[in-house]
Amino acid sequence: MKSGVLKLSIIVIGLSLFFTYIGVYFLPQSESHPPKVIKIEEGITQDELLKLGEEIVFGKGECMVCHVMKTEPGMRSPAISTIGGDMEKEAKQRGITPEEHLFESLVNPSAYVGKGFDDMMPPLHESPTSLTEGELVAVAAFLQSKGGKVTAAYPESGPALKAQIQKAGGK
Amino acid sequence: MAEKSVGSSILKGLIKLSLILGLGFLALHFLKGALPAPTEDGYRAFPVLGSRVWVWIIAQLHLNFAAFVLGVPIFAVSMEFVGWKKSDERLDRIAYDFTKLFTLAYTVTAIMGSVLLVSLPLFYPKFIDHMMKILGPTWWAYIAIMYGEVIVCYYYYYSWKKMKDKKGAHVFLGLLLNVFGTVLLLATSAWVGYMTTPGGVSPDGNLINRWQAIKTYMWIPLSLHRLVANVVFGAGIAAAYAAFRFITAEKDEERAYYDWMGYTSAMISIGFSLILPGVGYLLGVEIYSFNEQMGIQLMGGFFAWLWVMQAILIGAILFFVNYYLWISLNKMPGGERYFKYVKYLFIVVLLGYVVWLTPHSVALSLGEARKMGAYHPALGNLGVMAAKNTAVVISYLATFLSYSIFRISNKEPQVSWAKAGHKTRAAIIIMSTVAVLALGVYSYMVPAAVRVKVLSPIQFGIFFISLIVLYVLDSRMYKGAKIIGEPKWGKMPERSQYALIAITVTFTWLMGMMGYMRAGGRQHWHVYGIMKDTSPGAYLPTHGAALVIVSIITIIFFLLIGLLFWSIMRLEKASEAKGKR
Ligand code: HEC
Repeated sequence: MKSGVLKLSIIVIGLSLFFTYIGVYFLPQSESHPPKVIKIEEGITQDELLKLGEEIVFGKGECMVCHVMKTEPGMRSPAISTIGGDMEKEAKQRGITPEEHLFESLVNPSAYVGKGFDDMMPPLHESPTSLTEGELVAVAAFLQSKGGKVTAAYPESGPALKAQIQKAGGK
Repeated sequence: MAEKSVGSSILKGLIKLSLILGLGFLALHFLKGALPAPTEDGYRAFPVLGSRVWVWIIAQLHLNFAAFVLGVPIFAVSMEFVGWKKSDERLDRIAYDFTKLFTLAYTVTAIMGSVLLVSLPLFYPKFIDHMMKILGPTWWAYIAIMYGEVIVCYYYYYSWKKMKDKKGAHVFLGLLLNVFGTVLLLATSAWVGYMTTPGGVSPDGNLINRWQAIKTYMWIPLSLHRLVANVVFGAGIAAAYAAFRFITAEKDEERAYYDWMGYTSAMISIGFSLILPGVGYLLGVEIYSFNEQMGIQLMGGFFAWLWVMQAILIGAILFFVNYYLWISLNKMPGGERYFKYVKYLFIVVLLGYVVWLTPHSVALSLGEARKMGAYHPALGNLGVMAAKNTAVVISYLATFLSYSIFRISNKEPQVSWAKAGHKTRAAIIIMSTVAVLALGVYSYMVPAAVRVKVLSPIQFGIFFISLIVLYVLDSRMYKGAKIIGEPKWGKMPERSQYALIAITVTFTWLMGMMGYMRAGGRQHWHVYGIMKDTSPGAYLPTHGAALVIVSIITIIFFLLIGLLFWSIMRLEKASEAKGKR
């Protein structure tokens, strides 16, 4: 009886150790931290704005969960590396300004769904992404820099962004 | 034990439950006053471990026991029913033993629940206030139903021998027990469902519609998933119990009985696990429809590698099952005729396992890979799924074959078409394996959406159809077959029992990991998108750190389960001694 119990304990502990070993040594080890508060001062330079935008797109915005960098077959969301230029063309087709089109797609994405894609892009000013006005402008500037002309600036683009949020029915 | 009056046993159970709960409420009240007030954002810190790890361990332990006491009654009453209809004493005995297990496990379950009841409001007061505001009534209903459940459970167990001649009524009690159990499960799933895929509240967390807050996207699929998983898990623990009794048995007749009980429980467990991928798929679909981002994060984002880990664990479980079934051939007269096939099955399972283990060298996070302009080199967009599904299906097929070989190994078919039948069986096996493999290879060449929505279901479809066809074929072919000899239950080497235990340990570990993933899917939210987690434990730890905790939970759980088994044996001995006097 005693040796049986001992062997059973060895199985429980041995298997747990074995699986932990795989978990610790074979799986990638990184932590996922809650997004940090990003401070954007009025009159921020374009370079700094672009840098912050990049940080948000690859970090707390979690855009890369869905979006891809380069165009590829079977992609479920538009590619980022050419998105600035692509969106300028779309804006022209729709007959609205590039900035209107861009801000609309950030805060009211269901209003215009790109061809071949599903309507699954979340409104970025709302929970759970909850980007602030400054952050949204930074993201817009960064996206424009990908093959397009950067016009977004903080705080100058604020009213245009707010107009889109209002159209989306938000606060 | 059965000699005690039913009424007094129920009363004792109620007193015990009330004591445990009452102590919990008292402790909560006392500690709330004694401990320093919570921080401004609504937290108290648990010493050393941190609140997050403490609650994690307690909640998972409670859930393990709860899964066990809710899962076992489902097949206990089914077996009682079949035993009654077929007048099979042995089935009645096993049903009774199952019932003994879960009845005695109630106390531990309640104690763990009570510790959780103290811990959550103490360390997460603001969050619990919110939950009570939104779903409070369900919590009070939950306690009321728990009392109902305990009454019926004790009634069911302690009246077993007394109601021998009123089987119909007794089976009805068992059914009632399952109804109560299911309602309890629905209540707890509603809470988790609300936390993960909330509804019925305004963006700032005010209640709009309570029914909407209960009936969230995740509610029903999660409940279904848990219901099935509870049976798998409960039967696994029952198998571990049988193995424990087998190893410690002193008489041959005991060994024979527990060998059979272990086999039966293990087959129930594995049989029900076949449904899990389907229910899991449903759950995934609901999470996607609630929020794509969460779905992708869970399936292909931060948690992607834990799906590889899941596959490793399922692979290990199937490996142990096959090993167990092959040893079992030894006790079947005529079983030796099949040893030569086992070798090939072994190779297939091993190959399946290798496929699972392959993508282990690339350690990129999804974000990093995308930044470089590519999908994850090994994972792709949900990329593991193609290789994984193929390997899962083929290994399950191999396991099913081991099972059918075991069942027919002591029989000789008498029908005239037996030869053709054997050939048909071989053809079905080869064809379905090739088809599954071909689909698996092809699925690398199509977009992820096609792979997930079309090809994987086809693979599983082929698998289930072959199972059914093979099963029907075998039952036809072996109808009225000559029996070479009855299975020699109990004639099993001890190592077979260790394989049974290994299945259950792996499953417990797997359940711990999946529980972590389900909770971690909310990321830094208590209630996704509604209430942020701003505590020091709001981040997701590394996979290694998380899995260390899963191991600790598993080891504590088996320590407690060991104590439970041991106390059952002591009770049995005591009542035996009483009987002799
Ligand atoms: C849940 C998946 C998902 C997430 C997360 C996501 N997107 Fe999108 N996004 C999409 C999809 C799908 C489309 C195409 C459909 C549409 O236009 O609405 C899209 C479209 C866009 C467009 C419009 C492109 C065009 O050509 O019209 C922009 C701009 C954009 N996303 C930016 C972002 C940014 C910035 C983030 C992160 C802060 C982000 N997205 C996060 C799925 C997502």
